Amino acid sequence: VTFEEAERELQQIVERLESGSVPLEDAIALWERGEELYRLCRERLDAAQGKVEELARRVEDARPAQAPPPV
Amino acid sequence: MGKLEAIDYGDRQVYTVSAFNRGVGSWLQRLPTVWVEGEICDLRRQERWQTVFFTLKDTGDGSILTGLMPRGQFDALRLELQNGERVHVYGRPELFEPRGELRLRALGIERFGLGQHLAALERLKQKLAAEGLFSPERKRQLPRFPRRIGLVTGNDAAAKRDVIASVQSRFPPARLLVAETFVQGPRAAAAVAQALGAITAEPEVDVVVLARGGGSFEDLLPFSDERVVRAVADCPVPVVSAVGHEQDTPLCDLAADVRASTPTAAARLVVPDLDELLSSLARARAGLGRGARRSLERHGARLESLATRLERAAGLLVERRRAGVERSAAKLRALSPLATLERGYAIVRHEGAVVRAAATVTPGAEIDVRVSEGAFSATVKEMRQ
Repeated sequence: VTFEEAERELQQIVERLESGSVPLEDAIALWERGEELYRLCRERLDAAQGKVEELARRVEDARPAQAPPPV
Repeated sequence: MGKLEAIDYGDRQVYTVSAFNRGVGSWLQRLPTVWVEGEICDLRRQERWQTVFFTLKDTGDGSILTGLMPRGQFDALRLELQNGERVHVYGRPELFEPRGELRLRALGIERFGLGQHLAALERLKQKLAAEGLFSPERKRQLPRFPRRIGLVTGNDAAAKRDVIASVQSRFPPARLLVAETFVQGPRAAAAVAQALGAITAEPEVDVVVLARGGGSFEDLLPFSDERVVRAVADCPVPVVSAVGHEQDTPLCDLAADVRASTPTAAARLVVPDLDELLSSLARARAGLGRGARRSLERHGARLESLATRLERAAGLLVERRRAGVERSAAKLRALSPLATLERGYAIVRHEGAVVRAAATVTPGAEIDVRVSEGAFSATVKEMRQ
C-alpha cells in the first residue's frame, strides 16, 4: 500500500463516517480500519522526514565552508 | 687638322703646339651651344678687365670648368652673383689657345635659385604622384612588435641619438640596426637610397626609420631626390620618415608609409610603450580574475538558494502530508464511538452483529467485546431474567 493509497482510503472513511448514514457495526469497523491507516501513514511520514533530515545533514557536511579561492 | 701646316720630318708630320691648339680650338667651335648647371666659385670681375672669369663646380662630384663672359655683358645681367650660388650657364666650349685650356664661353647666365628649385621639385612631385607613389592605398600598417628596426641616418647625428634613445626607453627589448650614411651634400641622395636597400636586405628588419634632423632647404634636398623617393616607395617593409622639422615636407615624406614630425615621434610609432603595455596587461588580467570570481560567486549563490529550497521543499511536502493525515485522524476520532467507550461502555458483537438484546445469544455463545482500549472475546455463561 502506498502512502497516497492509504491516505485516500483514510479520507474516504472519514467522509463516509461524516455522512452519518453508516450502520453502527460498519462504523466501528471503519473506525478501526481508519486508525490502522492513520498509523501506517504516520510511519511512512516519520520515515520520510527522517530521511530528509539525514540527507540535509549530509549535504551540510559536504558543503565547503567558504567560496572557492580566487582564480 | 688637314689644313694646318705641319712640318715634315721624313714620313712623320709634326705640329707646333700653337697649331695643335688652334686646330682643337677650331674643332670645338663646331660643338653646339648648351646649358650647363653648376655652382659659381672663384668669381673674378675687375673694372680694368674686359672679361669676367669664374669657375663652375659640379655639386655632385666636384668637377670644375672655367667659364668666362665679357664684362659688359655680365654687368648687363645685373645678377649680383656671389660665390657658392647655383647657376645655369648658356654657352659653348672653347679652347684658350695660348694655354691649351678648355673654357666655357658664357652667352647667358641664370641664377638657379629657390624658385627654380621649388619649380623643379614640384615637377618631380607631380610626376611621381601621377605614378601613384604617394597614394594612400600604398600605405602599409607598421608592425606592432618589430623584430628588428632598421635606422637609416647620418653618422653621429642628433636625430640618430634621439631615435635610439626613445626606442630603447619606450621598449627596452627593441633591436635596432643602424645604417649610417651621408644625409647632406652631393653624395647623400645616392647613399641614402643605397642604405635603404642594404638595410632591408638584412634578416628580420621589418620596419625602417629614415631620420635626419632639421636643416636648410638645400640640406634637405637629397630627401626629395627622385632616387631616394623611389627607394622609399619600393622599400619591401614599411618606412617611417622623420626628416627635417614639422614644416618641411621632403618628397620622401610623401612616399613613406608614415611621416613623423620628429625622431622621438618616429620612435613612438615603431615601438609600443613597454610600461604602458605591461600595466594594461596587468589591468586586463586583474579584470579577468575579478570577472571569473564574480561569476563563480553568482553561480554559487544560485546553487545555495536552490539547495536550500530543495531541502525546504522536501520537508514542506512531508509536513503538508502530515497535516492532511492528522486532520483526517482528528475527524476520524471525533466521529468514532471512542468517546462513548471511554465513559465505560462496551460494544458486544456476536457473529459480527452488534448484540442489542440478550435473547439474541444463548449460553455457550462466543462473543466479541470492544472497550475503549482494546478488545477481547468471551463466552456467554448463563442467561439472566
